[in-house]
Amino acid sequence: MAQVLVIGLVEGTLFGLLAVSITLIHRGTGAINFALGEVGTFGLYVAWFLSVDQGLPWVVGAAGALATSVVLSVAFERLVVRPMKVPNPLAISVATVGLLTALLSFEFQQFGESPREVPVPIHGIGIRVAGVNVSPTQMLSVVVVAGVALGLGQFLRRTDFGLGVLAAAQDPDATRLVGVPLRRVTAFVWGAGGAVAALAALFVAPSVGVLTPGFASTHLFVVALIAAVIGGLSSLPGAFVGGLALGILKSGVLRVFSESSLPGKEYLVYLAIGVVVLLVRPSGILGSPRLRSAA
Amino acid sequence: MTAPTPVTAPGLDETGAAPSTTTLRARKITVPMTPTVWLRYLGALLVAIPAPILLGEMGVLNDTRALVLGEAVALAIAAMSLNVLMGYAGQISLGHFALLGIGAFASSKLTAPTPGNPVALPFVVGLVAGTGAGGVVAFLIGLPALRLRGLYLAVVTIVFNFVMVQSLFQSSWLSSGSGGVELPRPLVGSFDFVRNADYLAVLLAVLVVVWLLDVNLSASKLGRAFHAIRSDETMAASFGIDVTRYKLLAFTISGALAGLAGALYGHLFTFVNSGSFDLTQSLFLLTLVVIGGLGSRAGVVAAALLYGVLDFVLGEIFGTDVAGWVVFGSALLLMFTIAQHASGLAGAIREARERRHEGSVHLAASTPQMVDLPRPTGLPARAATTSESGPLLTVRGVTVDFGGLRAVNDVSIDVPAGRIVGLIGPNGAGKTTLFNAISGALRPDTGSIALLGTDLSAAPAHVRAAAGIGRTFQMIGLATDLSVTENMLLAQHQVATYGPLESLVGLGRAPRVEADLRQRAADAILALGFERYADTPVKNLSHGQQRIVEIGCALVTAPELVMLDEPSAGMAPGAVENLAVRLRDIRDELDRTVLLIEHNIPLVLDVCDELYVLANGVLIAHGLPDEVVARPEVIEAYLGEAV
Repeated sequence: MAQVLVIGLVEGTLFGLLAVSITLIHRGTGAINFALGEVGTFGLYVAWFLSVDQGLPWVVGAAGALATSVVLSVAFERLVVRPMKVPNPLAISVATVGLLTALLSFEFQQFGESPREVPVPIHGIGIRVAGVNVSPTQMLSVVVVAGVALGLGQFLRRTDFGLGVLAAAQDPDATRLVGVPLRRVTAFVWGAGGAVAALAALFVAPSVGVLTPGFASTHLFVVALIAAVIGGLSSLPGAFVGGLALGILKSGVLRVFSESSLPGKEYLVYLAIGVVVLLVRPSGILGSPRLRSAA
Repeated sequence: MTAPTPVTAPGLDETGAAPSTTTLRARKITVPMTPTVWLRYLGALLVAIPAPILLGEMGVLNDTRALVLGEAVALAIAAMSLNVLMGYAGQISLGHFALLGIGAFASSKLTAPTPGNPVALPFVVGLVAGTGAGGVVAFLIGLPALRLRGLYLAVVTIVFNFVMVQSLFQSSWLSSGSGGVELPRPLVGSFDFVRNADYLAVLLAVLVVVWLLDVNLSASKLGRAFHAIRSDETMAASFGIDVTRYKLLAFTISGALAGLAGALYGHLFTFVNSGSFDLTQSLFLLTLVVIGGLGSRAGVVAAALLYGVLDFVLGEIFGTDVAGWVVFGSALLLMFTIAQHASGLAGAIREARERRHEGSVHLAASTPQMVDLPRPTGLPARAATTSESGPLLTVRGVTVDFGGLRAVNDVSIDVPAGRIVGLIGPNGAGKTTLFNAISGALRPDTGSIALLGTDLSAAPAHVRAAAGIGRTFQMIGLATDLSVTENMLLAQHQVATYGPLESLVGLGRAPRVEADLRQRAADAILALGFERYADTPVKNLSHGQQRIVEIGCALVTAPELVMLDEPSAGMAPGAVENLAVRLRDIRDELDRTVLLIEHNIPLVLDVCDELYVLANGVLIAHGLPDEVVARPEVIEAYLGEAV
């Protein structure tokens, strides 16, 4: 039980953070960034190249990954979303599908299907918490994610710019009234999404073990997407809590049904949870029903 | 019928041309959906089936080439399937290949002899099962997602694709682990279709049939409903379309076609496993469809066939490595297409052709008249609506809250039959919100709405439309990229009494009902004096002309209550006079009742029999127009706004 909780929470924080990113972009544009996970995968390939292939320290690889993912996301916003003739949520979402497809096919062409070794920040056996072995990477992951989540929360609520970001999601005119340029807000939302995707991919990688094309889409993005739906695609805390819940649920399901030969059981659980939320409470656990009907 | 008053249509250039016609029977109409269409496609089949078999016999189509072409044809059917959902109905599926997989695995279960299943059923049974399974699964996963607005279908389908590929397609029940399943080629007598060129004939035959179904679908009420939903769900609902039901129908039909494509694909390669249907395939299918041109049958089929062949040709010339880059290039092209040219390849070709044929189309004046359109066949006869039999519309205690804001507060109004009743008030008074509550576009927090004593409070918008409430919108409530005729057809959605299956095969009641609808649309267009714009996209009309088309749409189903939201908005002063004549015609000639929101006070005083005044969501006055506008509280409400 304790093991389920600890493993679930460690992964759940990563799902939650990515879900917050999905929600931020959705609130700002009405679109879903389906390429978000793969932007993280791409960063991870850069980290692999720097840290594993070139043998540089993990931090260098991580910095390279973050920079790559941020640049990719911001460039996409600048080159594709901003010049759009009809920037409706459907068109933006389809464009992100284009980015996802482009990244996937590039990875397949460039790196092939053979798995790559992933960079690990700290090697070692770690410590035992409540009878569960927690690796140094997992500890670092929890500390970094908690720091990022709290920092992001404070930044959004305490600074003018952050308030502008939150306001932009409700009413673009309000942002201008606060005195924050909408363009900077949009760039921030996409850029932050890229950074979070890279971070989540870096920390989930050691527990998966190998890197293949589609890595973060498969292991992170699908879960985060359902977590964002649990938050009604509108609530940031709701999305984070959704991520934690799915993390725990995943590790619970994998443990309870460890005897079953069915592969990929956790995906069935994600789909079931998503369907139940859409049927029972589509506005999400912490979202307001009015917001949804107005949107 | 009194002699029509010669007036100029609003918004037209006023050259004062003579009335074009005096007869009120429109030109001969044509119905695209007739049994003779089937004959034409039968002819296509007579070419499609023997051609590859003969070419194979002659050695032109060797096994490799036929396999490449076969895969391209299966991809084309899959592309048409996604086009029904995305191009027609505007909903995204990111997991379409999972539905193809469902079709393939279902067909394999029935047609492949295994130790546990010694009786192998014929190929045709497999195809039918694959089609059915695809449709049923699409319906089930669409159900939770499509009740809601937004991108939920994309969310559910991408997760669904992962579920199938990572889990169920690898389960021991569906497949022997990731080992995959076998799908035998068809066997007719002793002819076994083992040669790829022979099986290509089967694929081509199915492509022709699916193409025909798609043609019928596009010309039917289904096609129009999908198009309206894609344009604007609120607008679609105001035409009486049950938006959730039709989105589900689109996905179910799309899923069935995907299942069919998957089964055909499986029997082509005679073996599939979970990897055959992974997310990258679904994403690539979507890429093809967007590049080919969303909503264009020919565009998406051409894109699919082109890619299928291009992949092979490039591979032959440059080696297999290059072919993979085609996907990368296509993905970049997808981003460019959706950002800069959303109508895709087909749209670009169409626009280039239109530019070449663009002559000097002169929009001359015409003579609008009012005619009493016959009651639509699908509706019950008109009830006796005299002023003595009580009010036509009764609104009691309606309250609408938006978050903390009370937009409409305990409003009760009566609209007597055969009158023009005005509803005025300063901006933000809640007039349009009240209209939405009456038409069913939103559900009031409290209160009741009844038409002729029948309570409609719980009825959704399309039921209210069928009951006799017709309306226009403040914003243009038309499908602007559809023609005037198509909008008139859309407006008759409620009275098009034929089912989805009849829409697809184009037989049964569909051709007869469609002919009837088209005749009524043509009559209505003639009555409005809009014949020369019958096939003009509404977006090319002037603002004033669009308002007239809207009124025509509200009248074409002969509703009891016509609700008009600021019909004079954007009209020139001369056109407003004409509008007044027309509104009186609706009342006097057609015996209909009008509920009118207007800002143009002279117009209101001119035409209205009664007036209600709304301010800050509260009803502040009711009575005869001249008397009401003189009341101090009404003047204050308007002046208060000016301050």
